[in-house]
Amino acid sequence: MNASLNFIGLEISVIGLGLVLMLADFFVPAERRRFIGYAGIAALGVLLIMSFSGNGTCSNFGFGFNNAFVNDGLSLFFKRFFIVAAILVLFIAAEFSDKLAAGSIAEYYSLIIFALAGMLFAASSNDFVMLFVAIELITVTFYVLVSFQRSKVASLEAGVKYLILGALSSSFMVFGIALIWGTTGTLNFTELAAVAPQFETSRIFLLGVLLVLVGLGFKIAAFPFQIWAPDVYQGAPTPTTAFLAIGSKAAGFVLLLRVLFTAVPSVTLHWEKLLIVISAITILYGNLCALPQRNLKRLFGYSSISHAGYLLLGVAALNANGQAAILYYLAGYLFTVLAGFLVIALVLRHLETDDVSGLAGLSQRSPLLAATMTISMVSLAGIPPLAGFFGKFLLLKSVIEAAQKSHHYGYIYLVFIALAGVVISLYYYFNVVRAIYWSKEARDLSPIALSAPAKLTAWVCIAGIFWLGLFPNTVLNLANQAATVFVAVTK
Amino acid sequence: MKYENLPWLILFLPLISAAVITLFTLRSKTVSSLISIGAVVAGFVMTVIFVNANGMQFSGETSLQWLEIGDLKADFGLKLDALSMMMLFVVTGVGGLIHIYSYGYMHEDRSMARFFACLSLFTFSMLGIVLANNFLMMFISWELVGVSSYLLIGFWFEKPSAGDAAKKAFIVNRLGDFGFLFGILMVWGLLGSLNFSALQNSITANPAALGAMATTAGLLIFCGAMGKSAQFPLHVWLPDAMEGPTPVSALIHAATMVAAGVYMLCRSLFLFNADSLHVISYIGGFTALIAALMAVQQNDIKRIIAYSTLSQLGYMVMTVGLNGPTPAMFHLTTHAFFKALLFLAAGSVIIGMHHEQDIWQMGNLRKKMPITFLTFTIGTLALCGVPPFSGFYSKDAILAQAWEQKSYLLFGVAVFIAALTTFYTFRLFFVVFFGKEKSDHAKHAHESSLVMTLPLVILAVFSFAGGFIGITNNYGSQFVHEHETFSAWQQFAEPFHNPFPMVCGLVAFAIGFFAALSLYKNATSDPLPKKLGGLATLMKNKFYFDEIYEATFIRAHDFLAAVADWIDRWILEGAIIGAIRGGTDLSGRALRLAQTGNLQTYAFLFVLGVALLLYFVLGK
Repeated sequence: MNASLNFIGLEISVIGLGLVLMLADFFVPAERRRFIGYAGIAALGVLLIMSFSGNGTCSNFGFGFNNAFVNDGLSLFFKRFFIVAAILVLFIAAEFSDKLAAGSIAEYYSLIIFALAGMLFAASSNDFVMLFVAIELITVTFYVLVSFQRSKVASLEAGVKYLILGALSSSFMVFGIALIWGTTGTLNFTELAAVAPQFETSRIFLLGVLLVLVGLGFKIAAFPFQIWAPDVYQGAPTPTTAFLAIGSKAAGFVLLLRVLFTAVPSVTLHWEKLLIVISAITILYGNLCALPQRNLKRLFGYSSISHAGYLLLGVAALNANGQAAILYYLAGYLFTVLAGFLVIALVLRHLETDDVSGLAGLSQRSPLLAATMTISMVSLAGIPPLAGFFGKFLLLKSVIEAAQKSHHYGYIYLVFIALAGVVISLYYYFNVVRAIYWSKEARDLSPIALSAPAKLTAWVCIAGIFWLGLFPNTVLNLANQAATVFVAVTK
Repeated sequence: MKYENLPWLILFLPLISAAVITLFTLRSKTVSSLISIGAVVAGFVMTVIFVNANGMQFSGETSLQWLEIGDLKADFGLKLDALSMMMLFVVTGVGGLIHIYSYGYMHEDRSMARFFACLSLFTFSMLGIVLANNFLMMFISWELVGVSSYLLIGFWFEKPSAGDAAKKAFIVNRLGDFGFLFGILMVWGLLGSLNFSALQNSITANPAALGAMATTAGLLIFCGAMGKSAQFPLHVWLPDAMEGPTPVSALIHAATMVAAGVYMLCRSLFLFNADSLHVISYIGGFTALIAALMAVQQNDIKRIIAYSTLSQLGYMVMTVGLNGPTPAMFHLTTHAFFKALLFLAAGSVIIGMHHEQDIWQMGNLRKKMPITFLTFTIGTLALCGVPPFSGFYSKDAILAQAWEQKSYLLFGVAVFIAALTTFYTFRLFFVVFFGKEKSDHAKHAHESSLVMTLPLVILAVFSFAGGFIGITNNYGSQFVHEHETFSAWQQFAEPFHNPFPMVCGLVAFAIGFFAALSLYKNATSDPLPKKLGGLATLMKNKFYFDEIYEATFIRAHDFLAAVADWIDRWILEGAIIGAIRGGTDLSGRALRLAQTGNLQTYAFLFVLGVALLLYFVLGK
């Protein structure tokens, strides 16, 4: 047991950090609690640097806690990813503090950190129990984060919806886990991989796996479990939405990848049709619903569904390139989506609406924010040379490779559907750009004052988007290494 | 090859200059113009160094592989031989003088920096044509020349006529380039290479390599020359191109760009068979004839010289067609000297006359503008082929070529054109510089500044001496196998080898000169329309080519465009795109109805989703 603690030093530090931030609440006067976030950022920055220097426990590869916890290339990639996401979200939260109940910001910070801890555990899960606990740690924290603006009905409504639908999905998942245990007698991914081929024809076992996928599908907002996303994205405080869009989704994907490709790879191989259909419908659903959407946060909700669909392309491809492409795409999506939410948080925090028209005249009010939002939209739409383009390129490439290898017509259709989705998405993404630069509706043209950290965040996001788009090799190598974790099983 | 890097530097300096001016120094007229002038003058100096180091009779290539697509390997390479090095001298030398002259001519223009950026871009493109060692690179430069010509003709784009002229030049050139591109593709398809040396080797090894397509390929490639060198029926753009500033007319539409077609023909002469050369010679002769006739009845000083350019280009193309690349290139070179001189002198007159271009508003300028008058006189004498001016030698070489090839019809036409040339040139000369002042502007005309007159003087020297400074020796070494080098004296006496064409040329000059003298010595208005009647109107209106094209090609084109527009607007955009767009939009709106916001509905849909999923996987 003590040896196992060597693997979770990072997680312990993060939980400790969350507690410290919460306690700081007592010692820091309400008007200065905003700055607690910067201490949290600094601490996370140190942990991030440690992860890269090889000193952190997350670089200590191996299994712990009776093989329930694993540190490997995949977990390392995602832990760095989650820490970067949390840092940027904390920056956004610090800008958003005056919209929250007075003095409650420290609590908000610590909840973000706790959610981060859940994500870190998720990245290392090698056991269905660990998976469930990690997911619940994330989800329960998010229930609070979503309904954090207690004075706002919309926020509370979103919280209740998320809570009830989340509980529903958790119950399906826990039922699924029970069925898996009941049929196979093991919950450990590694052990399961060894015995799963015997149970391929067991309907009860397959039912169990499917019900686990229901829970994960809910996390990533894939069809047909996407229905909550727009409402919750819209109602939640903007930093929460941001973290939901990137952190929660990525946690869902790392678990999905682990379950599909390390726990039950032999079963996954037979599900290419299912994955193709889900990916295709998710892409179309997200993009089509976003078309008439005027509310910016809701738009991001639908956009997030469609991106779950694109990411599922890499899952459906069932090859190592697809898995690596998912990781790469998520890295690009991180900077892109947080750039968008940063602008939403900064521009719309003083407006009553979240409407796209709120961005009118932004090009004059703050050229930096206008550029940030535009770059974010262009990257989401997948236009070179930005991160979104290269990610989509890799995903589609992996699907085309799969098509060549398996001669499954579904893959060809999937490529065309994904491309159609991209074309549709151009319309609503560029609608936002149009509002920024060409809208005549602008009433308020006063300049937006930006704090230094806000500017820094914007520049970091822009730099990240361009860096990933122009020099993809560094991150792509990391992603390729991480994807070696998955068992390559062929029919 | 010594100093292998110099040609690259010569080529790219003007491009760098264009880039630097556009990006950084657009605000400063002086700095911009000095950068541009510096680039081309440095090019000239480097050309001199390079030629001194390697000698004129040298031939070599330097290249980098640029791209490889399947079987197509395209080099980015430079070909250096007598032909390209002589052209380097013309482009950087005459071009350099024109750059310097432009400094004076454009001084009052607020967009002078932009002018010099375009001029540098042009110089780069033209050098690209000259130095290219393969058709692909030549074609790219060819198009760049078209672009920079477009930019420069339309330099005063506030004037609608300049904009129209720029478009006309560009589009007409594109028509020719379309054929050129086809020709290049055909050559590549048949011979498998685009490199000039490789092509020449395969043609030498197997003269029938192009097979039945030889004539077609040759004529398609000639299409390129037809556009750039303004040969009938694509000649219509050149006179309109005079809307550009006068130095542009001198550089692009007299000395270099329009010569590119002739140069290209000489560069790829080995590709042409007897039939295509025959067609080329007749098109050249016909262009020369109609252009000379049109020139007789023009009144705009620049247009007269422009038609004269057309006519002289016709001469050169005709000579190439008569299998005489040496005389053609000889005439191209001397023509670059004296035609640039005439244009620049005309520019000086225009500036002196406060931008008046109608020759019937001028008169008696010889006293007011002595240097311009003197240099213009030299240019006129050279153009008309008076011994011992350079034009005499090159024109005589052309006449001799026609005579030796026993092409008596073309010989007769050429002699007739020589008479016409003398006639219209001296008409211009007498009306502008002699007689009485025909307007107030003429009374108050003044000589131009030194920066403008100095290039005139230098060009005048070459216009005078161009016949016996060894130009034919250099071209001869390129095209004739057992070529003997002539001394200056031998060159001087060269026309006497074949006295009949020379005598014909001199008689033609005499006829033209005395006709012009008797009609225009003291004329205040043109007496010719009365004497010639309908023919004069025809000449004045350029044989109505513009109107004919307007009524046929442009009408047909407009009709096709209207049909295409209708199809695009109503069928493609309206029906097909409209249905797709509307359908997408509608499905988006319909799907949104699922998002009611009602929690019970959501939970129901969620469970329904689970059921669907289970049915999909387990239901079979």
